[in-house]
Amino acid sequence: MKRWGILVLVLALVVVGFLLLRPKPASQAGGTLYFLNWADYIPEDLLKKFEAETGARVVLDTFESPEAMLAKLKGGADREFSLVVAPDYYVLQMAREGLLAPLEKAKLKNLANLDPFFLDPPYDPGLRYSVPYLWGTTGLAYREDLVKGSVDSYAVLFDPARSVGPFLLLDEMRETIGAALKYLGYSVNATDPQALERAKGLLIEAKRRSVGFAGGVEALNRILAGDAALALAYSGDVLQARQEDERLHYVIPKEGGTLWTDALVVLKRGPSQDLAYRFIDFLLEPENAAALAEYTRYATPVAKALPLLPEEMRQDPAVFPPEEVRAKLEYLKDLGPDIALYDRVWTEVKAR
Amino acid sequence: MRRLLTLHAFLVYLFLYLPILVIVALSFNQSRRGVRFTGFTLDWYRALFQDPRVLEYFLNTLMVAFVSTLVATLLGTLLAVGLVRYRFPGKGFLSYLLYIPVVVPDVVMGVSLLLLFALAREVLGFPRLSLLTVILGHITFQVAFVTLVVRSRLLLLDPALEEAARDLGARGWQTFWHVTLPLAWPGVAAGALLALTLSLDDFVVTFFTAGPGATTLPLYIYSSVKLGVSPKVHALSTLIIGLSAFFLALGYALTRRRV
Amino acid sequence: MNEAATPWQRAFRVLVTVGPGGLWLLVFVLLPTLLVLLASFLTRGPYGELTGPWGFHNYAKLFHPVYLEAFAQSLLVGVLATSISALLGYPLAFYIARHPQRDLLLFLLLLPFLTNFLIRVYAWLVLLQREGLVNALLGAFGLGPLVLYPSFFAVLLATVYTFLPFFVLPVYASVERLDWQLLEAAYDLGARPVRAFLHAVLPQTYPGLFAGSVLVFIPAMGTFVVADLLGAGRVVLMGNLIQQQFGVTRDWAFGAALSVFLMGFVLLSLYLYARLQGERGLKDLV
Repeated sequence: MKRWGILVLVLALVVVGFLLLRPKPASQAGGTLYFLNWADYIPEDLLKKFEAETGARVVLDTFESPEAMLAKLKGGADREFSLVVAPDYYVLQMAREGLLAPLEKAKLKNLANLDPFFLDPPYDPGLRYSVPYLWGTTGLAYREDLVKGSVDSYAVLFDPARSVGPFLLLDEMRETIGAALKYLGYSVNATDPQALERAKGLLIEAKRRSVGFAGGVEALNRILAGDAALALAYSGDVLQARQEDERLHYVIPKEGGTLWTDALVVLKRGPSQDLAYRFIDFLLEPENAAALAEYTRYATPVAKALPLLPEEMRQDPAVFPPEEVRAKLEYLKDLGPDIALYDRVWTEVKAR
Repeated sequence: MRRLLTLHAFLVYLFLYLPILVIVALSFNQSRRGVRFTGFTLDWYRALFQDPRVLEYFLNTLMVAFVSTLVATLLGTLLAVGLVRYRFPGKGFLSYLLYIPVVVPDVVMGVSLLLLFALAREVLGFPRLSLLTVILGHITFQVAFVTLVVRSRLLLLDPALEEAARDLGARGWQTFWHVTLPLAWPGVAAGALLALTLSLDDFVVTFFTAGPGATTLPLYIYSSVKLGVSPKVHALSTLIIGLSAFFLALGYALTRRRV
Repeated sequence: MNEAATPWQRAFRVLVTVGPGGLWLLVFVLLPTLLVLLASFLTRGPYGELTGPWGFHNYAKLFHPVYLEAFAQSLLVGVLATSISALLGYPLAFYIARHPQRDLLLFLLLLPFLTNFLIRVYAWLVLLQREGLVNALLGAFGLGPLVLYPSFFAVLLATVYTFLPFFVLPVYASVERLDWQLLEAAYDLGARPVRAFLHAVLPQTYPGLFAGSVLVFIPAMGTFVVADLLGAGRVVLMGNLIQQQFGVTRDWAFGAALSVFLMGFVLLSLYLYARLQGERGLKDLV
């Protein structure tokens, strides 16, 4: 009996030794880029291309909810990541909270590839802290065979009388509260306590009738699986899902929607900063930007990449909304300390 | 009466196995969604094996499990011996402390470790959340279980055996190595096996203590399911189920032989 | 026990055996627990970190109806899961104990339980989905699709599924040690089967019943994964609340208070259990 025990022990030690000493890909000469991004927001091939070009290794971690991402970074993970893709309204907030240092523009060669609009966007004037990644809109996604009625207003979520089918709420604080505010006739950036109180009531009531909260990718997967008929969703996610099932549609409700830009930010205390800058430059190259846009079905801010996109994407109003639609869209703005008001509403909505 | 009991038992077993059987069946299903079986395929298994990240997570899981089990078994066995044989100040307190990882919900445990590591980072400058912190977390709950299992085994032992060894002139270390340990061995093995299982299976504590690049299989399954259940995950699950079943059956067969 | 050794030798031996493990427990169990307790009195800073002022405000916040509701739901899950486990597991324990191939049956009982916990939970997601197996079966009979996921029902079902073996094992242990002669005596005295069972058999299984109930109730109350995966945000238990505070909500102080509260409740339940069953009962549990 004892001999068996010793054998097992030796075996265990051998296994452990092997596992610990195995040639770990991390100890590569090129270094490691720790990249935090939305789920399913970059094609694997693009990462491999970067790895091949630089000899570095990319460790990708993903999130589905920006609030959870920020919480993770604030909890200390900002020392563990080099580069993060964050929603536009987070950029100035993250800078205020000490997570970001001003960009060293000298390290970026390809900024000129961007559309001039994005060189001085409202959410980060002069691009002090961020570089645009992709942009898109938020509206309603639905499956035509599962809805009983037209999907043209947020009322399908918030008005029990106008419900057309089981729906999901988006697991992003600003977008979801924003939708409720827009339905009530306010701006998505309203800070009036009364407005927020009314929005809160709407959301709590809607949550009870919903089939739950879901992040962008999850929401579309659940609609594809038939668990829900519609959801508040991001444009590209819906278009990606459409490739699997043509019964999916994206629409911007009559009350309007949001226009957003996701941006790359370099974490002040993160590792491999030089690699982060190289990766940003890499993504600003027209070829790579086009590949990114094509995979995710979102619009690219890189002007030089536009001609490289497939024709149907360039003509698709869901990707590049026409002027009359853009007039109804609002940017989510950084609210400064007033964000606490939203935090409180969201906490209560999630906790019930 | 007998028939009713049998029917009840049958239904309960069906209840227990149904979900697992469904997962296994769906892993071979051609269609990506739904439960209608549209055709047999090994595509999902192929996709699984072609995904380098899954292999990495698998190796991570194994490494964490083996390292933590080794350390925990060592610490736990020694601790159990000490608790059983000696009296010392603080013994009662330590005994109660042992129960905390066993009794307290995983969430609280995960959270407390998160706080500990955050404090350590502030004061000492390390450690960053990584596989190391995962291992530290696992060892913590494993030690408690190992100690309790080995202790209960030791308590069954007749102290006369150790006294006899001492009467014959054996010194402390010799007594331990030649008498105590072999007698306690089944307990140690059981404790180690339990610790290994707990580590391989753990999700909550890992969830709170893992950093980037420290993903284990349970964490991967969780984030995959959150995005949307897919047959690739079913394939992975089937493999895990198969492996567990194999080892358990092996263990069962081995223990039966001895009787 | 070791009278022949010198005090120094004894001290050395205690240190070598108890030292490493004990130190580990102090650093990784006691210290974190104290930290949680400490944090529960602090406040959430503007960016979510822990700062002063000190106070009982987090505990006062616990009594807000929203949080009490989560506690009540957790309690409900605990009680219901325990009751259902009892209904399912009690007869099963008897069946297994009296069966010639009880070892095999025990093995088959434990087998699903010993595969990964997450897999077993998400398996129910697959079964209960709108286009899942259950609805497909109902559809075959012309019955409309039910919204079984996400729901409280799904969470409860998966919780029972996860912890059922925890209930069966202690009861089985009790049944194995049953003195069936008491039942015979009851019959001899003229009792009808039901009465005989209630008075001669059931009381003997009390220890197992209690142990099984505690083993299901406590984890069921503290779970967060099941509610997270099968509740999709609609079912919020204590565990989910705590996880939220350390995630989305970024209020570590309040999360710590919630943890202290949950831990306190669990320890209280165990204390009551120990009082009812004695120290031995506690040791039997593990």
